[in-house]
Amino acid sequence: MTIRDLIDRLKLKPLSTFDDRDVSGVVVSDMLSDVMAGAKSGNLWLTVQTHKSVVPAANLVDVAAVVVTSGKSVPQETVDLASKYKVAILASELPTFELVGKLYSLGLGSA
Amino acid sequence: MAACRHQWEMADVEFGFVAFERCFHCDGLRTFFTPDQIPFLGEEYREGRCFWRRVEAAQSFRFGLRCARCGERHNLEELMGLLHCTGCDPACEIDRLRLQAEAEGNWVLVGFGFTDKNGPTPIPPAKLEILADYFNQRRDASRPRLRLLSFEQIGELSRCHGDFLHDVGMLSLEPPPTRTSPLVAPAPRRAGDAVGRPHRENGNDDPRSH
Repeated sequence: MTIRDLIDRLKLKPLSTFDDRDVSGVVVSDMLSDVMAGAKSGNLWLTVQTHKSVVPAANLVDVAAVVVTSGKSVPQETVDLASKYKVAILASELPTFELVGKLYSLGLGSA
Repeated sequence: MAACRHQWEMADVEFGFVAFERCFHCDGLRTFFTPDQIPFLGEEYREGRCFWRRVEAAQSFRFGLRCARCGERHNLEELMGLLHCTGCDPACEIDRLRLQAEAEGNWVLVGFGFTDKNGPTPIPPAKLEILADYFNQRRDASRPRLRLLSFEQIGELSRCHGDFLHDVGMLSLEPPPTRTSPLVAPAPRRAGDAVGRPHRENGNDDPRSH
């Protein structure tokens, strides 16, 4: 499953410019240190964090995309930085718990 | 016997806080890792002529690297954190190297050592290379490569506004919107400020409000 597939199926809103790629598994955390220690390349990162530091952290561990949940607004400086490094930032109105359920039903686990 | 083509993985992961302490007498900064579960902001103590006050505690973790093939291990005990260059100073060598790397389709982060009164402790270049190898090995081969630079190439440390990849203010989930770099020296105290009591720019002396 690719980022574009997930955007279509879950009505996610793409905020940054990015290159489409495969998604393998999901990581849920609002802490950069958690993600840096535990995320795997190609994971989808669900968070309510919107600070621009999520961009270098996401890039560092090579997550496929960051999904900002719960309808949180993302500062433009975060979106601009993400676009610069082609890190996909997606937004969802759904609470994290609900989105996790939908991702699980699509076959994505914590791989 | 052929040399091992190391395949690095994280080892000995320990979560805790990176504490930043500043002496309001000499404006010195020092940092250290603590496995404490609670960051004691505002804690003050005297050491010789210095009055140290904990000004920031960022949730972080420390770790080592181990080769999955041959078992070779490296601790990264000097590593305080990774810093993202914000391009705040066009005359800074890091900024020049960042722009160069980006033009080549790569990107950079800055490895930062723990700081004592004499400044940050250098991280051996070999360790920075191993750390960069670790992050690059786990990336999709089509993705830009990471280059790790040493903080020693930062032009003027006390004016660096780079972003540390630390969790600051995470007990309230969102980092303070006006976070200033802990590397930047605070404004000089105003005449009339009480001795032994550091000035806080927002006028609030309650350390819990940090």
